[in-house]
Amino acid sequence: MKVRVNTFANLRDYAPAGKSSFELALADGASVADLISALRIPAAVQAVMLVNGRRAGAATQLNSGDEVTLFPPMEGG
Amino acid sequence: MHGWCGKILRVDLSRGKISNEALDPQVARDYIGARGFGIYYLRREVDPACDPLGPENKIVMAAGPLTGTPAPTGARYVVTTKSPLTGAITCSNSGGNFPAELKKSGHDAIIIEGRSATPVYLWIDGGRAELRPASHLWGKTTHETDDALRGETHAKAKTAVIGPAGEKQVLFAAIMNDRDRAAGRAGVGAVMGSKNLKAVVVRGEGEISLADPAAFKAANTKYREAFKAKTQDNPPPLRTHGTAITVVGTQGHGVFPTRNFQQGTFEGWESIYGETLTQKYLVRAKPCFSCPIACGRVTRIPDGPYQGEGEGPEYETVYALGSDCGVDDLAALTKANYECNELGLDTISMGSAIACAMELYEKGYLKESEIGMPLPWGDGAALVKLTRMTARREGFGNILAEGSRRLAARCGHPELAMVAKSLDFAGYDPRGEQGMGLAYATSPIGGSHMRGDPAYFELLGVPVPADPHTWEDKPPLVAKWQDLFCVIDAAGLCVFFSVRYLVEQNLMVKPVGITELLNGATGAGYTPEEVEKIGERIFNAERMFLLSAGFTRKDDSLPPRITEEPMPTGPAKGMVCKLEEMLSPYYRLRGWSAEGVPSETKLGELGLLQRLKA
Repeated sequence: MKVRVNTFANLRDYAPAGKSSFELALADGASVADLISALRIPAAVQAVMLVNGRRAGAATQLNSGDEVTLFPPMEGG
Repeated sequence: MHGWCGKILRVDLSRGKISNEALDPQVARDYIGARGFGIYYLRREVDPACDPLGPENKIVMAAGPLTGTPAPTGARYVVTTKSPLTGAITCSNSGGNFPAELKKSGHDAIIIEGRSATPVYLWIDGGRAELRPASHLWGKTTHETDDALRGETHAKAKTAVIGPAGEKQVLFAAIMNDRDRAAGRAGVGAVMGSKNLKAVVVRGEGEISLADPAAFKAANTKYREAFKAKTQDNPPPLRTHGTAITVVGTQGHGVFPTRNFQQGTFEGWESIYGETLTQKYLVRAKPCFSCPIACGRVTRIPDGPYQGEGEGPEYETVYALGSDCGVDDLAALTKANYECNELGLDTISMGSAIACAMELYEKGYLKESEIGMPLPWGDGAALVKLTRMTARREGFGNILAEGSRRLAARCGHPELAMVAKSLDFAGYDPRGEQGMGLAYATSPIGGSHMRGDPAYFELLGVPVPADPHTWEDKPPLVAKWQDLFCVIDAAGLCVFFSVRYLVEQNLMVKPVGITELLNGATGAGYTPEEVEKIGERIFNAERMFLLSAGFTRKDDSLPPRITEEPMPTGPAKGMVCKLEEMLSPYYRLRGWSAEGVPSETKLGELGLLQRLKA
């Protein structure tokens, strides 16, 4: 299946070809944790993870066509 | 005293008299400082029913015990007064270097009262203070005033000034310190203008005495090292991109206010958010006093119609002058931000008033002939023009100068002002962020995010995430965070560092690190529980001022757009803010009546009954 991934700030460092928004192919039934590992984002790098605009956790199951957004925790404005 | 200077400067502008008063050690202990001192003195000395722009209103400019110390982000002060925009209390907070300089001059606070017959400025040179004529500065911008005053006094003096907007008593005029930092909200600059006080200039070279230097240093080092460890491989987004990076969180959650809160997603967001600002216009990051983060932005627009240089925009400005007006032209909104800084205006209320006007124009409730120009969504040139007209109350600017609530009411559609208690919302749509709705509605100053910012846990994952769409869990969280923000503000710290490093990293945010630093500085021997109780005391004291000014439960409200019109698009599609459902449980857990009045038991517990009778 394919999902769209949007990465921001330092998490863009883990985007293929440095493009902030890209499509990623994952095995059917993959979770957010599988996506994180496919992008090789180290455990020490914290990320806020959204799937279709809702907060997700590592165990959240992904479906084809989902939009995943990853950004670092921020202290606000 | 340690941490505290022990001295308050009282300035009677009507009589041209300046005096020093000792800070009561019990008041210092019970209210900590800054925001705490503001409400303590306001309740004692100002009739809540007074005319905010009359001589009977007072301005309390107060620093905290950690302001001016090496504590991380010990840079803040708070301006407390009765607001001309809202009729409520306001306690506007700012950083930069002026607050630390005030402490180093040997003062915890300045109480400004009365009204001068002619324009003056206050010059504080260490232990000496005097009022000087300022007629030659009247009409000058904040930057021109800062330049002139440092020329007349001391090159290294720090200034807090008003621009033309404050002089003209624009109801959301700011007090600008260090040129581009703003005590921005709810018209503190208009109150200063009503008193004919153009500026406060301060020079101080004293060191702030610490009660237990070794304990203070140990705590300071511990928390600075924690920050370093966390950020050495991942620089803080606020340093790299400024607060405008927050667009990622609000747009991502579908709560980025767009076209006067008609939508929660903005199609042009990538043109105006933090990373674009970094690529196009950032010159350098700029920290406030003693800050390891450095979220401030020095920016430059090199060419074109909006050429200029200055500071900003912050996230709130990107929302208010950007998405909320449908403007995706970063240069235009940045230029309007520069104008706000130089003319002395709150960027949030300025943008929000223009957004309100744009919707009134779109719907035909406001005519082109009344505005003097067409005002379609997305008109960046109009932003800049209207900002200038508002500051000087020229033409339609004279109407915008009264703020969005009065503008919408004047056009017969008060429901189109996106405000709580007449104060314009910050950049978070409460329909997709339930806790923020409760925070806006119950904030003592009106629609501010900085009186217990739920965006941290609802959107940004700090210190840990909570679901932004649920309302059942929000009343206790909002109350807890409101009290915490009273503590952060009273101590003289910045929220940005405090919520990440100086509180326990769970939703109950016990202020352990803040307590350690306060104890090292003051020797007060606080427990974290006592510090939390002080936060609650400050919040309830502010509530009492509000109630005495005539506010009731019906003022703890949000516009029907937020509570009745479902969000049309994005991740929060179909949602409304469940304010009424949250309000009663919130009152109950605060120990307030069904009408939102603190019970005698609660007031007694907080030591506020005695103060009332004093």
